[in-house]
Amino acid sequence: MNNVNSAILSPDLGWLILALFSVLWIWLGWFWGRKVTDLDGYMLAGRRVGLALGTATAMATWVTSNTTMAAPQLALQLGIWGMLGYSLGSVGLLLFAPLARRIRSLMPNGYTSGDFIRLRYGNTAWRLFLIISLFYGIGWLISLGMAGGILIHALTGIDYQLGMSVILFICVAYTLLGGLRAVIGTDFIQTIVILVGVAILAWLAITEVGFDKMHASVLEERPELLNLLMPAAIMFLFNNLLFGVGEIFHSNVWWSRAFAFREGVGFKAYFTAGIFWLPIPIVAGFVALAAPALGLNVPAADMVGPMVAAKLLGMGGAILVFIVVFSALASSLDSLLAATSDLVLQDIYRGHIRPNADREELRKAARWVVLALGIITWLLCMPRLTTLASLLHFTGAFVASTIWPIVAGLYLKRANAAGASLAMFLGTAIGLWAYFSIGFYVAALVSAAVSMLVVVLTTWLWPAQYNWASLNETKETN
Amino acid sequence: MTISVSFLATMVSIALAVTLIAPIVLLLLWIKDARGGQLW
Repeated sequence: MNNVNSAILSPDLGWLILALFSVLWIWLGWFWGRKVTDLDGYMLAGRRVGLALGTATAMATWVTSNTTMAAPQLALQLGIWGMLGYSLGSVGLLLFAPLARRIRSLMPNGYTSGDFIRLRYGNTAWRLFLIISLFYGIGWLISLGMAGGILIHALTGIDYQLGMSVILFICVAYTLLGGLRAVIGTDFIQTIVILVGVAILAWLAITEVGFDKMHASVLEERPELLNLLMPAAIMFLFNNLLFGVGEIFHSNVWWSRAFAFREGVGFKAYFTAGIFWLPIPIVAGFVALAAPALGLNVPAADMVGPMVAAKLLGMGGAILVFIVVFSALASSLDSLLAATSDLVLQDIYRGHIRPNADREELRKAARWVVLALGIITWLLCMPRLTTLASLLHFTGAFVASTIWPIVAGLYLKRANAAGASLAMFLGTAIGLWAYFSIGFYVAALVSAAVSMLVVVLTTWLWPAQYNWASLNETKETN
Repeated sequence: MTISVSFLATMVSIALAVTLIAPIVLLLLWIKDARGGQLW
């Protein structure tokens, strides 16, 4: 996508929109962060987040630039199953709802997913989990930073490095100023923008093109897109489901919210978010099916969404898509930045470097960690590594291996440390073997299956008797 | 096994209806939380 001529907005207009949103997000970050005085306030928004903000932040974080740009792309490539398969990403949110309630009740003073693994399974499993989690977290951060630069370039023609630097700067700035409060507050606005934006585009596609014309054109030009028995798409559906569950179950992005939500909010917030997230890939992806009826010649599949929007609504449609994509990017990038910083601060800095650091030292260090992580991400995004897309598929083997150790660790007293470590190690190793020898679409599937087998066998053969009270560290010891 | 126009229309219409309801529900929840002093 190096061709500036394919941009649907002028660079000047792109800069104007970026400038307006930069001012808004950074001001909100400062506004919400100005009263944050302690570590819990900065890392976990004071642990009193209500249902409205809780639901919106779970939705916004899971709606990435991928959802808004790749859903139309998948609809164009995999048809009906592409949209439905993507929407099954919501299963992860729905299944995490009971886990969030359990996490909050077992660990009312917890900070990170690393805390849980350390207290539940000990140091070996904790370090293995940290490798997996940080590898995934930083990989996702880089992919989002790169996606920012690539999308801004594709939509406006602004240079990749400039666009990527600006979006990273904005997200780092408001996360730095306001911590998780700023992230959750902006997520609410971004969720509303995304929902309204994708609904307008779908409505226009229905009223301007119509289902009959759309169906007839697709049937004539690309009949396979309407076929319910498209094998590649069915494979994609299952792998995407397990990848999504693994991503949500292990990632500190979701755990930090479980700790941040007010008591009694976790289950409702994640469940409602899952229900409301479910239709978004269908609504965002469906517009791609209008491309044949509109006579659009799509040069790159990932540009089909913006092209349809521009065709239907002209300049207004292009601006709308840009704002939706920008909101989706920022809402995920800020969440990941905050959650990965928490993991680095709590599990690396305090866990391995400064075990005696007091809360005031940690509060000051938290801001430096956000800044350092932002700079590292920026440096790694600069070369625009084209292999990162495959790196993300590759992480499916890693994250899926953590599903069963986490579920068993939360609900089964008999799940043991050796089994958890072995499950993560073997799940990842055999999942990677499957990735290289069979294909990317089975990596998460194989990893989760192996991990489950190991957890079940070791729990049955060598049952432990874990004391749940050990998970509740007091603030003084924490 | 090709899907029909009515299947496509029903699926997208339901998805669009939920997407339209979502921001309204979020705003109502926001008002309720704000009135109860439970936003955060």
